Amino acid sequence: MILQRRLSVKGGSALGSELVRNIIKDVRVEFRSRSALGVALVFAAVTTLAVSMVSGGVPFEPKVQAILLWLIMYFSAMNGLAHGFTREADQGTELFLRIHSDPDAVYLSKLIFNISLFMLVQCVVTPVFAVLMQVDVKDTVHLVLTVAAGGLATASAVTLLAAMVAKAGGRGPLFTVISLPLVLPVLWVSITATGRAISGTAAQGSRDLLFLLAFSGMVIAISFILFRFVWLDE
Amino acid sequence: MRINWILHILMPVSIVLAFAWAPPVQALGDAGRIIFFHVPVAIVSVAAFLLSGLLSILYLFYHGERFPMLAEKSHNSACLGMLFVILTVITGSIWARISWGSFWNWDPRETSIVILLLVYIAYFSLHSALGRSGSRDRITAVYLIFAMAMVPFFAFIVPRVYPSLHPDPIINPDRQVHLEERMKLTLLASAVSFMLLYFYMFSIMNRMSILKKKIGDRHE
Repeated sequence: MILQRRLSVKGGSALGSELVRNIIKDVRVEFRSRSALGVALVFAAVTTLAVSMVSGGVPFEPKVQAILLWLIMYFSAMNGLAHGFTREADQGTELFLRIHSDPDAVYLSKLIFNISLFMLVQCVVTPVFAVLMQVDVKDTVHLVLTVAAGGLATASAVTLLAAMVAKAGGRGPLFTVISLPLVLPVLWVSITATGRAISGTAAQGSRDLLFLLAFSGMVIAISFILFRFVWLDE
Repeated sequence: MRINWILHILMPVSIVLAFAWAPPVQALGDAGRIIFFHVPVAIVSVAAFLLSGLLSILYLFYHGERFPMLAEKSHNSACLGMLFVILTVITGSIWARISWGSFWNWDPRETSIVILLLVYIAYFSLHSALGRSGSRDRITAVYLIFAMAMVPFFAFIVPRVYPSLHPDPIINPDRQVHLEERMKLTLLASAVSFMLLYFYMFSIMNRMSILKKKIGDRHE
Protein backbone atom coordinates (compact mmCIF):
# COMPACT_ATOMS: atom_id res chain seq x y z
CA MET A 1 0.00 0.00 0.00
CA ILE A 2 2.75 2.39 1.00
CA LEU A 3 4.79 1.46 -2.06
CA GLN A 4 1.76 2.07 -4.29
CA ARG A 5 1.40 5.52 -2.78
CA ARG A 6 5.10 6.09 -3.27
CA LEU A 7 4.70 5.34 -6.99
CA SER A 8 1.97 7.94 -7.30
CA VAL A 9 4.30 10.78 -6.40
CA LYS A 10 3.04 14.09 -7.65
CA GLY A 11 4.81 16.18 -10.23
CA GLY A 12 7.50 18.69 -9.28
CA SER A 13 5.34 21.80 -9.63
CA ALA A 14 2.47 20.32 -7.59
CA LEU A 15 4.93 19.28 -4.89
CA GLY A 16 6.51 22.74 -4.96
CA SER A 17 3.18 24.54 -4.57
CA GLU A 18 2.13 22.21 -1.72
CA LEU A 19 5.49 22.80 -0.09
CA VAL A 20 5.15 26.58 -0.27
CA ARG A 21 1.54 26.38 0.98
CA ASN A 22 2.56 24.26 3.99
CA ILE A 23 5.48 26.54 4.85
CA ILE A 24 3.25 29.63 4.70
CA LYS A 25 0.69 27.82 6.87
CA ASP A 26 3.35 26.88 9.47
CA VAL A 27 4.79 30.40 9.52
CA ARG A 28 1.31 31.95 9.91
CA VAL A 29 0.40 29.58 12.76
CA GLU A 30 3.73 30.30 14.44
CA PHE A 31 3.35 34.06 13.90
CA ARG A 32 -0.10 33.96 15.56
CA SER A 33 1.04 32.16 18.69
CA ARG A 34 4.83 32.65 18.59
CA SER A 35 4.96 29.75 21.01
CA ALA A 36 7.90 27.82 19.54
CA LEU A 37 10.13 30.81 18.87
CA GLY A 38 9.10 32.70 22.00
CA VAL A 39 9.77 29.79 24.36
CA ALA A 40 13.11 29.05 22.66
CA LEU A 41 14.33 32.64 22.93
CA VAL A 42 13.16 33.11 26.52
CA PHE A 43 14.84 29.82 27.52
CA ALA A 44 18.06 30.88 25.79
CA ALA A 45 18.01 34.35 27.38
CA VAL A 46 17.32 33.03 30.90
CA THR A 47 20.02 30.34 30.64
CA THR A 48 22.64 32.72 29.22
CA LEU A 49 21.88 35.31 31.91
CA ALA A 50 22.06 32.67 34.63
CA VAL A 51 25.44 31.36 33.41
CA SER A 52 26.80 34.90 33.00
CA MET A 53 25.60 35.88 36.48
CA VAL A 54 27.06 32.79 38.15
CA SER A 55 30.40 33.24 36.35
CA GLY A 56 30.55 36.79 37.72
CA GLY A 57 31.65 38.27 34.42
CA VAL A 58 34.85 36.23 34.28
CA PRO A 59 35.32 34.85 30.73
CA PHE A 60 35.62 31.06 30.41
CA GLU A 61 38.09 29.22 28.17
CA PRO A 62 37.11 28.93 24.48
CA LYS A 63 36.24 25.24 24.80
CA VAL A 64 33.92 25.89 27.78
CA GLN A 65 32.32 28.82 25.95
CA ALA A 66 31.69 26.58 22.93
CA ILE A 67 30.12 23.86 25.11
CA LEU A 68 27.82 26.36 26.86
CA LEU A 69 26.83 28.03 23.59
CA TRP A 70 25.82 24.75 21.95
CA LEU A 71 24.03 23.40 25.01
CA ILE A 72 22.00 26.60 25.30
CA MET A 73 21.17 26.63 21.58
CA TYR A 74 20.30 22.93 21.48
CA PHE A 75 18.07 22.77 24.55
CA SER A 76 16.34 26.08 23.81
CA ALA A 77 15.46 24.95 20.28
CA MET A 78 14.38 21.41 21.22
CA ASN A 79 10.85 22.37 22.25
CA GLY A 80 10.31 24.40 19.10
CA LEU A 81 11.69 21.73 16.79
CA ALA A 82 9.20 19.14 18.03
CA HIS A 83 6.38 21.68 18.06
CA GLY A 84 5.73 21.53 14.30
CA PHE A 85 4.39 17.99 14.47
CA THR A 86 3.01 17.88 18.01
CA ARG A 87 0.93 20.99 17.27
CA GLU A 88 -0.67 19.23 14.28
CA ALA A 89 -1.52 16.28 16.53
CA ASP A 90 -2.79 18.44 19.42
CA GLN A 91 -4.98 20.66 17.23
CA GLY A 92 -6.37 17.72 15.27
CA THR A 93 -5.08 19.01 11.93
CA GLU A 94 -2.80 16.02 11.35
CA LEU A 95 -5.45 13.94 9.57
CA PHE A 96 -6.43 16.86 7.35
CA LEU A 97 -2.79 17.44 6.40
CA ARG A 98 -2.30 13.72 5.76
CA ILE A 99 -5.26 13.60 3.39
CA HIS A 100 -4.60 16.83 1.51
CA SER A 101 -0.81 16.98 1.31
CA ASP A 102 1.78 14.69 -0.13
CA PRO A 103 4.06 13.28 2.62
CA ASP A 104 7.13 14.55 0.75
CA ALA A 105 5.73 18.10 0.80
CA VAL A 106 4.86 17.80 4.50
CA TYR A 107 8.35 16.56 5.37
CA LEU A 108 10.15 19.21 3.32
CA SER A 109 7.98 22.02 4.68
CA LYS A 110 8.55 20.92 8.30
CA LEU A 111 12.27 20.54 7.58
CA ILE A 112 12.54 24.05 6.13
CA PHE A 113 10.49 25.42 9.03
CA ASN A 114 12.72 23.68 11.58
CA ILE A 115 15.94 24.82 9.89
CA SER A 116 14.64 28.40 9.76
CA LEU A 117 13.55 28.27 13.40
CA PHE A 118 16.89 26.90 14.58
CA MET A 119 18.83 29.46 12.51
CA LEU A 120 16.66 32.25 13.90
CA VAL A 121 17.35 31.08 17.45
CA GLN A 122 21.07 30.92 16.61
CA CYS A 123 21.02 34.42 15.11
CA VAL A 124 19.68 35.80 18.39
CA VAL A 125 21.48 33.55 20.87
CA THR A 126 25.02 33.68 19.42
CA PRO A 127 25.55 37.49 19.60
CA VAL A 128 23.78 37.76 22.99
CA PHE A 129 25.94 34.92 24.32
CA ALA A 130 29.09 36.49 22.87
CA VAL A 131 28.34 39.80 24.58
CA LEU A 132 27.23 38.45 27.97
CA MET A 133 29.94 35.78 28.22
CA GLN A 134 32.68 38.10 26.88
CA VAL A 135 33.58 35.76 24.04
CA ASP A 136 36.65 37.07 22.21
CA VAL A 137 36.20 35.51 18.76
CA LYS A 138 39.43 35.22 16.78
CA ASP A 139 37.96 33.73 13.59
CA THR A 140 34.46 35.18 13.08
CA VAL A 141 33.89 33.76 9.59
CA HIS A 142 34.66 30.25 10.75
CA LEU A 143 32.43 30.68 13.81
CA VAL A 144 29.49 31.82 11.67
CA LEU A 145 29.98 28.95 9.21
CA THR A 146 30.27 26.39 12.01
CA VAL A 147 27.17 27.64 13.82
CA ALA A 148 25.19 27.64 10.57
CA ALA A 149 26.38 24.16 9.51
CA GLY A 150 25.80 22.75 13.01
CA GLY A 151 22.30 24.25 13.09
CA LEU A 152 21.51 22.78 9.69
CA ALA A 153 22.71 19.32 10.77
CA THR A 154 20.81 19.43 14.09
CA ALA A 155 17.52 20.64 12.60
CA SER A 156 17.79 18.06 9.78
CA ALA A 157 18.43 15.20 12.19
CA VAL A 158 15.54 15.95 14.55
CA THR A 159 12.73 16.63 12.04
CA LEU A 160 11.91 12.95 11.42
CA LEU A 161 12.28 12.23 15.14
CA ALA A 162 9.77 14.99 15.92
CA ALA A 163 7.22 13.21 13.71
CA MET A 164 7.87 9.97 15.63
CA VAL A 165 7.40 11.70 19.00
CA ALA A 166 4.13 13.24 17.82
CA LYS A 167 2.94 9.69 17.03
CA ALA A 168 3.97 8.60 20.52
CA GLY A 169 1.75 11.25 22.09
CA GLY A 170 4.17 14.17 22.00
CA ARG A 171 5.85 13.45 25.32
CA GLY A 172 8.46 16.18 25.83
CA PRO A 173 11.33 14.26 27.47
CA LEU A 174 11.02 11.46 24.92
CA PHE A 175 12.07 13.82 22.13
CA THR A 176 15.28 14.73 23.96
CA VAL A 177 15.96 11.07 24.83
CA ILE A 178 15.60 9.76 21.28
CA SER A 179 17.24 12.69 19.52
CA LEU A 180 20.29 13.30 21.72
CA PRO A 181 22.20 10.10 20.78
CA LEU A 182 21.73 10.84 17.08
CA VAL A 183 22.62 14.52 17.42
CA LEU A 184 25.62 13.90 19.69
CA PRO A 185 28.10 13.48 16.80
CA VAL A 186 26.89 16.84 15.44
CA LEU A 187 27.17 18.55 18.83
CA TRP A 188 30.59 16.99 19.37
CA VAL A 189 31.99 18.21 16.05
CA SER A 190 30.22 21.59 16.30
CA ILE A 191 31.55 22.24 19.82
CA THR A 192 35.09 21.29 18.79
CA ALA A 193 34.92 23.48 15.68
CA THR A 194 33.34 26.41 17.58
CA GLY A 195 36.07 26.20 20.24
CA ARG A 196 38.70 26.30 17.52
CA ALA A 197 37.02 29.29 15.85
CA ILE A 198 36.86 31.21 19.13
CA SER A 199 40.51 30.53 19.93
CA GLY A 200 41.61 31.08 16.33
CA THR A 201 43.12 27.61 15.85
CA ALA A 202 40.76 26.43 13.12
CA ALA A 203 43.34 24.62 10.99
CA GLN A 204 40.95 21.65 10.59
CA GLY A 205 37.98 23.95 9.97
CA SER A 206 37.09 22.75 6.49
CA ARG A 207 37.08 19.11 7.67
CA ASP A 208 34.59 19.91 10.44
CA LEU A 209 32.35 21.82 8.05
CA LEU A 210 32.57 18.97 5.54
CA PHE A 211 31.52 16.50 8.23
CA LEU A 212 28.53 18.63 9.26
CA LEU A 213 27.39 19.20 5.67
CA ALA A 214 27.83 15.51 4.74
CA PHE A 215 25.88 14.53 7.84
CA SER A 216 23.06 16.96 6.94
CA GLY A 217 22.86 15.70 3.35
CA MET A 218 22.75 12.06 4.41
CA VAL A 219 20.19 12.66 7.16
CA ILE A 220 17.87 14.65 4.90
CA ALA A 221 18.03 11.94 2.20
CA ILE A 222 17.26 9.11 4.67
CA SER A 223 14.52 11.11 6.40
CA PHE A 224 12.92 11.96 3.05
CA ILE A 225 12.70 8.24 2.19
CA LEU A 226 11.49 7.11 5.62
CA PHE A 227 9.10 9.93 6.51
CA ARG A 228 6.03 8.43 4.80
CA PHE A 229 6.34 5.28 6.93
CA VAL A 230 5.95 7.42 10.05
CA TRP A 231 3.42 9.84 8.66
CA LEU A 232 0.98 7.54 6.88
CA ASP A 233 -1.12 4.93 8.65
CA GLU A 234 -1.47 1.61 6.92
CA MET B 1 25.58 -29.38 12.25
CA ARG B 2 23.49 -27.27 14.59
CA ILE B 3 24.84 -23.88 15.61
CA ASN B 4 24.89 -24.71 19.34
CA TRP B 5 27.09 -27.80 18.77
CA ILE B 6 29.73 -25.70 17.03
CA LEU B 7 29.40 -23.07 19.74
CA HIS B 8 29.85 -25.63 22.53
CA ILE B 9 33.14 -26.70 20.96
CA LEU B 10 34.47 -23.38 19.69
CA MET B 11 33.77 -21.18 22.73
CA PRO B 12 35.82 -23.32 25.21
CA VAL B 13 38.56 -23.65 22.57
CA SER B 14 38.65 -19.84 22.15
CA ILE B 15 38.89 -19.33 25.91
CA VAL B 16 41.76 -21.82 26.15
CA LEU B 17 43.51 -20.18 23.18
CA ALA B 18 43.08 -16.71 24.73
CA PHE B 19 44.52 -17.70 28.13
CA ALA B 20 47.01 -20.44 27.31
CA TRP B 21 48.10 -20.34 23.68
CA ALA B 22 48.22 -16.70 22.57
CA PRO B 23 51.35 -14.78 23.65
CA PRO B 24 50.99 -11.91 26.16
CA VAL B 25 50.38 -8.46 24.67
CA GLN B 26 53.47 -6.21 24.52
CA ALA B 27 53.74 -3.79 27.48
CA LEU B 28 50.45 -5.01 28.99
CA GLY B 29 51.37 -8.61 29.76
CA ASP B 30 48.60 -11.06 30.58
CA ALA B 31 46.14 -8.23 31.27
CA GLY B 32 46.19 -7.52 27.55
CA ARG B 33 44.42 -10.82 26.90
CA ILE B 34 41.18 -8.91 27.40
CA ILE B 35 41.57 -7.96 23.72
CA PHE B 36 40.26 -11.45 22.84
CA PHE B 37 36.96 -10.64 24.57
CA HIS B 38 36.62 -6.87 24.16
CA VAL B 39 37.10 -6.73 20.39
CA PRO B 40 34.69 -9.65 19.61
CA VAL B 41 31.87 -8.30 21.82
CA ALA B 42 32.34 -4.86 20.22
CA ILE B 43 32.07 -6.44 16.76
CA VAL B 44 28.94 -8.36 17.79
CA SER B 45 27.32 -5.26 19.31
CA VAL B 46 27.70 -3.36 16.03
CA ALA B 47 26.68 -6.43 13.96
CA ALA B 48 23.52 -6.92 16.08
CA PHE B 49 22.62 -3.29 15.55
CA LEU B 50 23.18 -3.54 11.80
CA LEU B 51 21.10 -6.74 11.62
CA SER B 52 18.31 -4.95 13.50
CA GLY B 53 18.44 -2.18 10.91
CA LEU B 54 18.46 -4.60 7.99
CA LEU B 55 15.50 -6.55 9.43
CA SER B 56 13.71 -3.23 9.88
CA ILE B 57 14.27 -2.41 6.19
CA LEU B 58 12.82 -5.79 5.25
CA TYR B 59 9.91 -5.18 7.63
CA LEU B 60 9.04 -1.82 6.10
CA PHE B 61 9.26 -2.93 2.49
CA TYR B 62 8.40 -6.66 2.46
CA HIS B 63 6.62 -7.54 5.69
CA GLY B 64 3.81 -10.03 5.53
CA GLU B 65 3.72 -13.72 4.77
CA ARG B 66 6.96 -13.70 2.82
CA PHE B 67 9.05 -12.70 5.86
CA PRO B 68 7.02 -13.25 9.05
CA MET B 69 7.88 -11.89 12.51
CA LEU B 70 10.40 -9.37 11.19
CA ALA B 71 9.55 -6.69 13.75
CA GLU B 72 9.97 -9.15 16.62
CA LYS B 73 13.27 -10.42 15.18
CA SER B 74 14.56 -6.88 14.79
CA HIS B 75 13.62 -6.11 18.40
CA ASN B 76 15.28 -9.33 19.61
CA SER B 77 18.49 -8.42 17.79
CA ALA B 78 18.41 -4.97 19.41
CA CYS B 79 17.95 -6.58 22.86
CA LEU B 80 21.04 -8.72 22.28
CA GLY B 81 22.92 -5.76 20.85
CA MET B 82 22.21 -3.85 24.06
CA LEU B 83 23.64 -6.72 26.11
CA PHE B 84 26.79 -6.89 23.98
CA VAL B 85 27.30 -3.13 23.93
CA ILE B 86 27.17 -3.10 27.76
CA LEU B 87 29.77 -5.88 27.78
CA THR B 88 31.87 -3.82 25.35
CA VAL B 89 31.74 -0.78 27.63
CA ILE B 90 32.65 -2.86 30.72
CA THR B 91 35.56 -4.75 29.08
CA GLY B 92 36.74 -1.53 27.39
CA SER B 93 36.75 0.31 30.73
CA ILE B 94 38.82 -2.45 32.35
CA TRP B 95 41.26 -2.36 29.44
CA ALA B 96 41.44 1.46 29.58
CA ARG B 97 42.22 1.31 33.32
CA ILE B 98 45.07 -1.13 32.65
CA SER B 99 46.47 0.71 29.60
CA TRP B 100 45.80 4.37 30.25
CA GLY B 101 45.32 4.47 34.05
CA SER B 102 41.65 5.49 34.19
CA PHE B 103 38.37 3.73 33.43
CA TRP B 104 37.14 6.38 31.03
CA ASN B 105 39.08 8.85 28.84
CA TRP B 106 36.52 10.03 26.26
CA ASP B 107 38.69 8.74 23.47
CA PRO B 108 36.77 9.05 20.14
CA ARG B 109 36.24 5.30 19.95
CA GLU B 110 35.00 5.13 23.55
CA THR B 111 32.65 7.97 22.73
CA SER B 112 31.40 6.10 19.67
CA ILE B 113 30.46 3.03 21.68
CA VAL B 114 28.72 5.18 24.30
CA ILE B 115 26.70 6.83 21.53
CA LEU B 116 25.75 3.35 20.29
CA LEU B 117 24.65 2.47 23.84
CA LEU B 118 22.58 5.67 24.01
CA VAL B 119 21.00 4.83 20.64
CA TYR B 120 19.93 1.45 22.03
CA ILE B 121 18.52 3.11 25.18
CA ALA B 122 16.66 5.64 23.02
CA TYR B 123 15.25 2.82 20.88
CA PHE B 124 13.91 0.98 23.94
CA SER B 125 12.47 4.24 25.32
CA LEU B 126 10.62 4.84 22.07
CA HIS B 127 9.49 1.22 21.95
CA SER B 128 7.99 1.41 25.44
CA ALA B 129 6.52 4.92 24.88
CA LEU B 130 4.59 3.67 21.86
CA GLY B 131 3.11 0.86 23.97
CA ARG B 132 0.98 -1.56 22.03
CA SER B 133 -0.13 0.96 19.40
CA GLY B 134 -0.51 -0.36 15.89
CA SER B 135 2.20 1.91 14.53
CA ARG B 136 4.83 0.87 17.11
CA ASP B 137 6.61 -1.68 14.93
CA ARG B 138 6.69 0.67 11.95
CA ILE B 139 7.97 3.71 13.87
CA THR B 140 10.62 1.78 15.81
CA ALA B 141 11.73 0.19 12.52
CA VAL B 142 12.16 3.67 11.04
CA TYR B 143 14.15 4.75 14.12
CA LEU B 144 16.48 1.76 13.80
CA ILE B 145 17.07 2.40 10.09
CA PHE B 146 17.65 6.09 10.77
CA ALA B 147 20.10 5.30 13.57
CA MET B 148 21.79 2.61 11.45
CA ALA B 149 22.41 5.18 8.72
CA MET B 150 24.28 7.28 11.28
CA VAL B 151 26.46 4.45 12.58
CA PRO B 152 29.17 5.04 9.94
CA PHE B 153 29.51 8.63 11.18
CA PHE B 154 30.13 7.82 14.83
CA ALA B 155 31.61 4.32 14.51
CA PHE B 156 34.00 4.83 11.62
CA ILE B 157 34.38 8.45 10.51
CA VAL B 158 34.70 10.32 13.84
CA PRO B 159 37.32 7.93 15.36
CA ARG B 160 39.40 8.30 12.22
CA VAL B 161 39.02 12.04 11.80
CA TYR B 162 39.92 12.84 15.42
CA PRO B 163 43.08 11.57 17.16
CA SER B 164 42.48 8.42 19.18
CA LEU B 165 44.34 6.69 22.01
CA HIS B 166 43.09 3.35 20.73
CA PRO B 167 45.49 0.88 19.14
CA ASP B 168 44.52 0.35 15.52
CA PRO B 169 45.25 -3.27 14.78
CA ILE B 170 42.41 -4.08 12.41
CA ILE B 171 41.82 -1.04 10.24
CA ASN B 172 44.72 1.35 9.63
CA PRO B 173 46.24 3.35 6.77
CA ASP B 174 48.50 0.39 5.83
CA ARG B 175 45.47 -1.94 5.67
CA GLN B 176 47.53 -4.43 7.67
CA VAL B 177 46.68 -6.37 10.82
CA HIS B 178 49.51 -5.56 13.24
CA LEU B 179 49.18 -8.65 15.42
CA GLU B 180 51.26 -11.78 15.86
CA GLU B 181 49.99 -14.85 14.00
CA ARG B 182 48.86 -16.68 17.16
CA MET B 183 47.09 -13.59 18.48
CA LYS B 184 45.44 -13.04 15.11
CA LEU B 185 44.16 -16.63 15.05
CA THR B 186 42.92 -16.44 18.66
CA LEU B 187 41.13 -13.17 17.98
CA LEU B 188 39.48 -14.68 14.90
CA ALA B 189 38.37 -17.79 16.83
CA SER B 190 37.02 -15.61 19.63
CA ALA B 191 35.17 -13.32 17.20
CA VAL B 192 33.55 -16.33 15.48
CA SER B 193 32.62 -17.83 18.88
CA PHE B 194 30.93 -14.65 20.08
CA MET B 195 29.15 -14.26 16.76
CA LEU B 196 27.85 -17.83 17.06
CA LEU B 197 26.80 -17.12 20.65
CA TYR B 198 24.86 -14.13 19.39
CA PHE B 199 23.11 -16.17 16.67
CA TYR B 200 22.35 -18.97 19.14
CA MET B 201 20.75 -16.53 21.60
CA PHE B 202 19.01 -14.78 18.71
CA SER B 203 17.45 -18.06 17.51
CA ILE B 204 16.21 -18.88 21.04
CA MET B 205 14.65 -15.42 21.39
CA ASN B 206 12.98 -15.74 17.99
CA ARG B 207 11.49 -19.10 18.99
CA MET B 208 10.20 -17.50 22.19
CA SER B 209 8.60 -14.70 20.15
CA ILE B 210 6.85 -17.24 17.94
CA LEU B 211 5.54 -19.10 21.01
CA LYS B 212 4.34 -15.82 22.58
CA LYS B 213 2.51 -14.94 19.38
CA LYS B 214 0.87 -18.37 19.19
CA ILE B 215 -0.25 -18.14 22.83
CA GLY B 216 -1.53 -14.59 22.23
CA ASP B 217 -3.45 -15.68 19.12
CA ARG B 218 -5.02 -18.58 21.05
CA HIS B 219 -6.20 -16.22 23.82
CA GLU B 220 -7.78 -13.91 21.25
